[in-house]
Amino acid sequence: MDSLTPTQRDRGLERLRRLTFGAAAGGLIGVVGVGIAAAASYAGTPSSTATAQTTTTTTDTTTNSSSSTSGSDLQSAPQAPTTGSSGSGTVTSGGS
Amino acid sequence: MAVALKSWKALGTSVHVLSTHDDGLDAATTAVRDVLEDVDEAYSRFRADSELTRLNANAGRTIRISPLLATAIDAALRAARLTDGAVDPTIGRAIRVAGYDDDFSRIAAEGPHPALTRERGREAFPPERGRETFSPERGREMKLRAWRVPGWQGIRLDRRLRTVWLPHGVELDLGSTGKALAADLAATAALAAAGGGGVLVSLGGDIAIAGEPPSGGWRILVAEDSRARPDGDGDVICVPSGGVATSSTTVRRWSRDGLVLHHIIDPQTSLPTSGPFRTVTVVAATCLDANIASTAAIVRGEAAIDWLSSCGLPARLVENDGTIHYIGPWPDPTRVAA
Repeated sequence: MDSLTPTQRDRGLERLRRLTFGAAAGGLIGVVGVGIAAAASYAGTPSSTATAQTTTTTTDTTTNSSSSTSGSDLQSAPQAPTTGSSGSGTVTSGGS
Repeated sequence: MAVALKSWKALGTSVHVLSTHDDGLDAATTAVRDVLEDVDEAYSRFRADSELTRLNANAGRTIRISPLLATAIDAALRAARLTDGAVDPTIGRAIRVAGYDDDFSRIAAEGPHPALTRERGREAFPPERGRETFSPERGREMKLRAWRVPGWQGIRLDRRLRTVWLPHGVELDLGSTGKALAADLAATAALAAAGGGGVLVSLGGDIAIAGEPPSGGWRILVAEDSRARPDGDGDVICVPSGGVATSSTTVRRWSRDGLVLHHIIDPQTSLPTSGPFRTVTVVAATCLDANIASTAAIVRGEAAIDWLSSCGLPARLVENDGTIHYIGPWPDPTRVAA
């Protein structure tokens, strides 16, 4: 095997340094990315000492949310009303 | 199927309890009275010793509350969330300043202009927070100062600890949801007390149904005024389950300096609504949901029809000129069931 010239050796070392840095940076990005994905997809279970604070925070977040559900959670009666006629037992719905 | 009925006055309005079991009516009535007494103690705005009065006097502090008041505030916050704030419990000060500051039977029919009254040394409608709006009534235009109510988002309710915190200056009024919630709670309690059959509870025209209905469903006359005779004019519908609620600007009214006011407040302006619909009736799974939808429809004005249609709830809207709109699966008024 022919021996390398100093120039060839320096180029090789530089290439190796870039590859090493790239691999390390890529690995770090991968770890952070997986961590973010895991945190977003798994709510986790609070420890017993943190339960009260977690509950309060969740409640406040829920009641203070201004996100709109546009009335979609208002529940319909199981059966639609039908037309009737007044008679015994009729009551009035109106303003009061 | 025979239906037994008892009626009396409570919460400043009429109460009707109907039962398909004659034997169970007394027990059902007692159960409803108990619920209404608890409601009055918990969230009457007009009782000095109610929990709500104490809470409103302690804004800025965390207050522990009863399960019933927690349920009522939770229901009010849900209403605000589902209506994008059209039904907002932080209208307490606005409706008080407008003149509705006592049981309605004790409200003066006439009085000075609300914008001219003074409260705690300040103008009732602080000009630095307000903007001017015009409210045509009785053929005249009157200038009022208006501002958006504080907003339900500032309320901190912890359901588990049963504590609530109100921002400084916020007064709650649960009138838009409280009566309907009371009807639902009363109907559930009445059915349990009656030991079976079916019950209907009406609180000033907000109606909750529980148990087995009469054949074909409970017959309900839909009118502008809950004091209308059941055999009077109007659409009659048969409802087998759930709840029915009517919101109207035509009944609970008073006058200040010639300006006619009513009890449905627009949270955007702190003033009584002035939209195109005077009365809205909705049928839903509960009286509470029906009342949330009917009140929100009055507040939303022209947008109400599209909004109610998107909710999928049967509704009947009466315009100020008397034109009636039927929304969703509301029954055809010209087709009477056999």
